[in-house]
Amino acid sequence: MALPFWDLLGLWVAAFFSFSVLSFLWKDNLYYKFGQQFVVGVVVAHNILTSMQAVYNNGVVPIMTKGQITLIVPILVGILAYTRLSRDISWASKYPVAIMIGVGTGSMVVGTLRGQIIGQVSMAITDVFKSSAPMDMLNGLIIFVGTVASLTFFVFTREHRGALGGSAKLGRIFLMISLGANWAAETVWYLTQMTGRVMFLYNEWLLKGILGG
Amino acid sequence: MSGDNTIWDKMGSIDYRYVYAITIVLILIPVIRPLGIPMKTTKITVDYFNAIDNLPAGSIVAVSMGGGMGTLDELESAFLATWRVLFQRDLKVVFYSTTADGPIILDYHFKEKVKPENYGKEYGVDYVRLGYNPLGEPGEASFALSIRSVYSTDYQGTPLDDIPLMQNIDSHEDIDLLIYIYTACTSVEIVVRQWIVPYNQPSVGITLGCCGPMASPYYPGQLLSFLSGSGPGAELEIVGNVPGPGALINDAKNLGIIGLLIFLVLGNASYWGKRLTGG
Repeated sequence: MALPFWDLLGLWVAAFFSFSVLSFLWKDNLYYKFGQQFVVGVVVAHNILTSMQAVYNNGVVPIMTKGQITLIVPILVGILAYTRLSRDISWASKYPVAIMIGVGTGSMVVGTLRGQIIGQVSMAITDVFKSSAPMDMLNGLIIFVGTVASLTFFVFTREHRGALGGSAKLGRIFLMISLGANWAAETVWYLTQMTGRVMFLYNEWLLKGILGG
Repeated sequence: MSGDNTIWDKMGSIDYRYVYAITIVLILIPVIRPLGIPMKTTKITVDYFNAIDNLPAGSIVAVSMGGGMGTLDELESAFLATWRVLFQRDLKVVFYSTTADGPIILDYHFKEKVKPENYGKEYGVDYVRLGYNPLGEPGEASFALSIRSVYSTDYQGTPLDDIPLMQNIDSHEDIDLLIYIYTACTSVEIVVRQWIVPYNQPSVGITLGCCGPMASPYYPGQLLSFLSGSGPGAELEIVGNVPGPGALINDAKNLGIIGLLIFLVLGNASYWGKRLTGG
């Protein structure tokens, strides 16, 4: 069954840019550069438009329809960010930045302390004793030892000798294992992205777009 | 240089394009003819499924859609399986997007892949889409406190108060489960800081495979579970009995990794060979 014109055009455009990106595997080239810059341009344009739409829907509309005039304040603060475009009044752009950093930091502090520092430390200790299953206890013990040893690797105020040196060496091994796991996960992610493109090019573009399957 | 022709040198200087060519060919094999390589399901995926499956009928699920088009190949199996599991149950779902691409993905999925109406779901009654809002962390905190403080309309511009489902929903107190989707690895900290720590909100996550190691410390103590990448997405297809593209992607990944492993072994053998022979 033949695809409608616009669907077919969409398939060819997607295939064109997929091949463009994949051509980088051969070497850096003009086709790749065109594809890369075209996609970046489209993404930026889309982000600008959708962000403006979000400000309109959630900022301007409530002012107009519900009379929530307090929403004018964040809109004005947001507009101040554009004063960077003029050297004479660019100082005003520091206010929205300061507000964003202040609000951002304020909203993060409690959660960071309770969730990421106290929560994580207490879990690293209690996990050893929480489960009665031997394998879970062993797992908890490895995490506890790994956490302590990795932290000692970053103790720079004392020379890494004796017990501290041994712990730091063990910590380095744990850190290397952790980085290896991250690298493996990253590689598999790239592989999935490639798989997705190959599936698209074969199933959608070749079978449906060209062979009409 | 005399050492340039040893076997170790040759092994270490194979043109990288062979790696890509072999990997692409290996990936293509299962795409053309699926192999059906067996998969085992893990506890973390079962926990994810149970977090949804154990919800009482009529529960409210909020889905923070932070996925992007550039990472859709990696996450689509997890997305589709999750939408199917949600729509198969008597749950009310509130989708909101924290990335500009989020609404595009939901549009595409609900029109082409998982049509809510096929599950008897009605827009505005069983599910609602609030659209994109560049919330960031402070915005997420505001959303948890009061949805209406950051969203006044849905993605079509309909005021929230005119949507039946949203009549009694406005904050974390009205939400029974949060599904937090993100592609920036450190964003797992946002759900911990803004939902779990202050409100003890039951939460699960969906993220990229490479972000899994960063989410792991929060499971199971803080996050009920999380799916990282297409592998767990394929597992959810099995656990939830909702077939999707995950199995095929896993086949291709399993074969594709063989090519990479071969060259990894050759590269390491070259390094150690040269080192041990003094080359």
